[in-house]
Amino acid sequence: MTGHRERQIVVGQAVLPVELTPEAISLLWFGAVTRNAHLIHYDTEFARSEGLAGPVVMAQLHGCLFHRAAAEFAGAGGRVREVGWRNRAPAHVGDRLVVTGTVQSVDASSGAVTLDLVERCGADGVVCCRGRAVVIPG
Amino acid sequence: MIRSAVLELVEDRARASVGRWERRSLGVVRAEDAAEFARAAGERAPRLVDPTRADFTVHPMYVVSLLRGAPGADAAEFRPDGMYRDEVPGTDGLDVRLMAGGQDVRWVGEVRSGDPIELRRALTAVERKGVGEGFLLLTMEKVYGAARGAMVEVTERFIVR
Repeated sequence: MTGHRERQIVVGQAVLPVELTPEAISLLWFGAVTRNAHLIHYDTEFARSEGLAGPVVMAQLHGCLFHRAAAEFAGAGGRVREVGWRNRAPAHVGDRLVVTGTVQSVDASSGAVTLDLVERCGADGVVCCRGRAVVIPG
Repeated sequence: MIRSAVLELVEDRARASVGRWERRSLGVVRAEDAAEFARAAGERAPRLVDPTRADFTVHPMYVVSLLRGAPGADAAEFRPDGMYRDEVPGTDGLDVRLMAGGQDVRWVGEVRSGDPIELRRALTAVERKGVGEGFLLLTMEKVYGAARGAMVEVTERFIVR
């Protein structure tokens, strides 16, 4: 007996929420470290000329939040094998972004767990991205 | 040029470039840069944000989020909207609206500090979507590699209106 308790994962199990509220400064910071100068992320007047309500969150930052949700589900010693997302609606500066999800499937042979994820934004909880991830739990 | 003609031109150019692989260096991964990326993304996990730790890990989204590597771009590489002229194939010099459509990221290796990263990318699909003149959905395959081989594969979609 090793004392190790195998983690039970079942279809439909919840993925704990992760959240982020990007502000103008954090978007500028994230854009600087990724060398992303696209004005739709920084310039309100330009963003409105593009038909947006204001500056929008970068795709890669959405990806980071999906990755974090998947990594936290995978747990210590686990790993994220895949993350994907589709943009559904723009998320704007100051919007609270929350990624939640459920276990979609468990592959008993490989141990891979597929997560069905969704990111909602703002006070109304509009779906801004739908995503999925494949993890190998620790 | 009216917008429908601009979109047709983008579509023609994009279709002509389908399957053409190009390479770009993203420079050498520095632990300090990867840690700053993680902090800017709102991460708090010590192994992602503190490059002095023995268990420091380059954030898996770091290299796939870089639009350029060091030493960065020249002024002539930017569109008036701040995007890089070559980021979305077929759009160079044209007044179009660019949006991200989503990505699928698959990790096949672990990027480490000190890795020189090379990006290979090719446009693989051009689709007209929506009603009326609609918009273009461009699909691009990307492979991020280091000396040990491929590290990350990405399928990325761009919306051009």
